[in-house]
Amino acid sequence: MSESVGANMEVRLLPAAFDPAAVHGDFLTRFGAFGAVAAFTGVVRETAKEAAVDYLYLDWYPGMTEASMQTIAEAAAKRFDIRALGIHHRCGEVRAGEPVVFVAAASTHRRAAFEAVDYMMDRLKSEAALWKREVGPQTDHWVEPTASDAEDLKRWSEK
Amino acid sequence: MIDILFFGRVADRLGKRRMAMVLPEEGLNLLTLRLRLFDGDADERLRMSVNQVVVTDDRPLRDGDEVAFFSVFSGG
Repeated sequence: MSESVGANMEVRLLPAAFDPAAVHGDFLTRFGAFGAVAAFTGVVRETAKEAAVDYLYLDWYPGMTEASMQTIAEAAAKRFDIRALGIHHRCGEVRAGEPVVFVAAASTHRRAAFEAVDYMMDRLKSEAALWKREVGPQTDHWVEPTASDAEDLKRWSEK
Repeated sequence: MIDILFFGRVADRLGKRRMAMVLPEEGLNLLTLRLRLFDGDADERLRMSVNQVVVTDDRPLRDGDEVAFFSVFSGG
């Protein structure tokens, strides 16, 4: 584990809309002095496979979902030389155009920060205890991780 | 008594999110419960957990266990 990530680990499962810019700002204020902060925001697309999407519904398992996110955060803290990290993930109904996930990492050097964010996103896609349903005027189906999500995840086991 | 929870596609398919069951006197194993609930439907993508830990192997269920059945995770 990197020396001081422990206390600087913020993992949140959010049932209501959040503002990633505010979370990012707060993260920068608290951890920017380490020198390198990388962040990623995922936003619900308005179309999926050419079908309009009104909202995503993210089903979750209270307790297990938070624990699965915490496991991913701890693995990132152990694997990369980072000093702080944050995962904010929505659950419930998330409208098109709204942020669904925000991930950030702070380090003394950019590479570790970039890699930690990339790693956490790849694992969240397939290993966070969440179930995503896409709903629109012509579509209503549960989404499963794609072959490319599986390939993304594999990158981290080959190292 | 055990609690049985369903999530994602599985909850939709069964039309419910939870149920309770009194364990029979002769006991009940996880895979037997799965077979009963899903009528032998061999969906390889069906996942299980006991007391919030994902499991793949069979095991006897105990009073107070929380069992869940769900489809593969999709977050992010």
